[in-house]
Amino acid sequence: MALLELSHISKSYPHAKGSLSVIDDVSFAISEGEFIAIVGPSGCGKSTLLRIINGIVPQSSGQVLYNGRQIDGINLECALVFQSFALMPWLTVEDNVEMPLEARGVPPEVRRKRISFYIDKVGLDGFEEAYPRELSGGMKQRVGLARALAAEPRVLLMDEPFSALDALTAITLREELLDIWRLPDSPVHTILMVTHIIEEAIELADRIMVMGAHPGRLIADLKVDLPRPRDRRAEGFNVYADKVFSLIEERS
Amino acid sequence: MARRINIKRMLGGTISFVILAALLALFFAYRAHSTQIHPPRFTVSVRQLPYYAFCSFYRMLAAYALALLFSIVYGLTAARGRMYERIMIPAIDVAQSVPVIGFFPAAVYFFVSLAHGRLGVELAAIFLIFTSQAWNMALGVFEAAKTIPGDSIEALETFGVSGWLKFKRLLLPACVPKLVYNSILSWVAGWYFLIACEIITVGPAHYRLPGLGSYLMEAADRGRTGELIAGLLTLLVIIIAMDLFIWQPLSAWSEKFRYEFAASAPPMQTMIGASALAWFSGALFGTARILALPFRLAGWMFRGISGAMPAVSLETRESAARIFRWMVIAGAVLMACGLAYSILRGIVALIEALVQPWPAEAWLIPKATLFSTLRMITAYLISLAWIIPCALYASDNPRLHQRLASIAEIVGSVPATALFPLIVLFVIRVTGGMNLASILLILTGMQWYLLFNLLAGVTQIPEDLKEAVRSFGLSRVAGWRRLVLPALMPSLITGSITAWGGGWNALILSEYFLYRGHTYQVLGLGALLDAATYQTGNTVMMLLSLLSMVLVVILLNRLIWRRLYDVVTERFRLDY
Repeated sequence: MALLELSHISKSYPHAKGSLSVIDDVSFAISEGEFIAIVGPSGCGKSTLLRIINGIVPQSSGQVLYNGRQIDGINLECALVFQSFALMPWLTVEDNVEMPLEARGVPPEVRRKRISFYIDKVGLDGFEEAYPRELSGGMKQRVGLARALAAEPRVLLMDEPFSALDALTAITLREELLDIWRLPDSPVHTILMVTHIIEEAIELADRIMVMGAHPGRLIADLKVDLPRPRDRRAEGFNVYADKVFSLIEERS
Repeated sequence: MARRINIKRMLGGTISFVILAALLALFFAYRAHSTQIHPPRFTVSVRQLPYYAFCSFYRMLAAYALALLFSIVYGLTAARGRMYERIMIPAIDVAQSVPVIGFFPAAVYFFVSLAHGRLGVELAAIFLIFTSQAWNMALGVFEAAKTIPGDSIEALETFGVSGWLKFKRLLLPACVPKLVYNSILSWVAGWYFLIACEIITVGPAHYRLPGLGSYLMEAADRGRTGELIAGLLTLLVIIIAMDLFIWQPLSAWSEKFRYEFAASAPPMQTMIGASALAWFSGALFGTARILALPFRLAGWMFRGISGAMPAVSLETRESAARIFRWMVIAGAVLMACGLAYSILRGIVALIEALVQPWPAEAWLIPKATLFSTLRMITAYLISLAWIIPCALYASDNPRLHQRLASIAEIVGSVPATALFPLIVLFVIRVTGGMNLASILLILTGMQWYLLFNLLAGVTQIPEDLKEAVRSFGLSRVAGWRRLVLPALMPSLITGSITAWGGGWNALILSEYFLYRGHTYQVLGLGALLDAATYQTGNTVMMLLSLLSMVLVVILLNRLIWRRLYDVVTERFRLDY
């Protein structure tokens, strides 16, 4: 059975002339252990879709099923990583990572251990007491990742996590993300990532959901059959890239 | 490093206290020259109401126009460079927190001696309303100009845009949102003080300008409840009409001038490391440049005009410019001398006033200071107790936020001084305590500033942080603790500073109360000041109680608020 299933999700906002449709009838399913990327032009509602799955934005119609059950409100089995990092500037790295644990009522002794474990895991040990504004962009996103991992979610949701970083930092973080996804001692093995960088999607994902804009809808569900680790210069890589490009071009 | 800054702070505090005291004494010295004014008869009748409303509105409008002009010139100048900022912003800070109402008698003496009769009183009233409107607007312009992103300025500079065009295309539009928002606050403050501004007392003579404020006060004083309600309704209609037809469209329009950028430009660090001497010389130099500004403005205009006349030869234009430069320097020197002279004269007047024999009540001042401060603290705690929960609830309920903002705008505008008789009589009848009544009255002049600032703070909480809190499933209370409260800290401090300023003003009106020939009062600085103004006419007492108040205000500012502000803006800044 699918871990997460979207069926006929639509989202529209009230508008001067009736309503503005942002997402129109999107359905797909995610199994445990999959790495899925959603790509599409800006305005295709991919970030909104992520927030609907998380439960912070309500859908206008359709259902999100988790383990076959319908979820009302926030799905605590998901954790979101933000493009803008969304760290509280007045909290230290440690306290930022603690937030989801606090929300889940984890007892304090367990909290301490988990916090240092995940700060360690993203390579930030020694920076526990630092404030976000003292960190570089890459380090901030590591905190964002540690915060999401500390929640020990079943599904990791990522909203353009590497778009605000410089190219070199993004390369390192992508590799580390793949390690986290693959290694057996990681808490989470199912990742849903929104991105507008097509190469990033092909490099990381098992499946690519291609979305079109105005209104946002699913154009293609593409399986990526390339051996890992993937090489961006390999011939097969370009075939996929051309395919995704032409899919997006055609529909817009 | 910290010590040096403290010394600088105390030095700044002392300087501002001495300057204020000197100017105050100088104002009072004018008293000798002022002639007796004959108060006209004032009629309370509903038929006169439209006329009174018209008078008050135009008085407000004149004061507001002045405040608008002042705030744009002052705010933009202060944002021009460190030199200006160092002098002009602390000056605003003092002006904002000093109880301006306490200076009314002094200001009235001054204006009445400038222009006799009604014109002088009108000028005084407009000036007083102006002082309740100008400071926050000037600060708003300053903040807006300071936060213009550096690349926008650079972009204009690469195209060679400067002077008037830069003002029109960049500086003024950048200030529009803050200016509109602060204008609403200024009108609220102006209406609140309308009564204090229209009823002007010079020694034993009361002068009532025709206007809504005088009408409300007279109606309340004569116990004419029907007329009082009619007056309040008129005021309410004006306020609501202004909100609907002016402020709401203006606010919507001002949205298009708002900058949308993720991280604001890094705020400039304060002058750490500058020695006290360098600071002092910088201050002197800065003052000189500020004084020269009007002349430089005139210079721009002159250049603009001469540029428009191609017939004038280049040499003529150049020599004219040279002459003009000398005129600018001469003018600035003249103004600096004038300022120095008036401060010196003021110090002499201050000493002259203080060497007179002090009346017996002078010994009550320490106790009165303590009691007044305690009353202020109580009112402040009450405001915090209801406003912080309101702001927290408003943070995740936009509709409540909007409703609170419009209620605050309307209720905060009601000149509560008109309702003072009703409040005082009611509270005294119920509890028998004038103390409680006076705390309630302080509250009416204090709480709105806190509420407005916190509501504005709520709108500035970034959307992604709110989403993060919800996404991780934090409960409402945990979200308040982790996100909303810390994010509101800077607004809480700035709101508190202005709230205390408003509170001191209200204190002067609320410790002493004359109703139908009966005096209700409690021991406090406001009461001592009022008694000296209305009963004994003792200048020394007026001066002493005002000076104690100013001293407390400056001490609190330097020792508590400034420090808290520095800590809070460092720790709870929203850039990350």
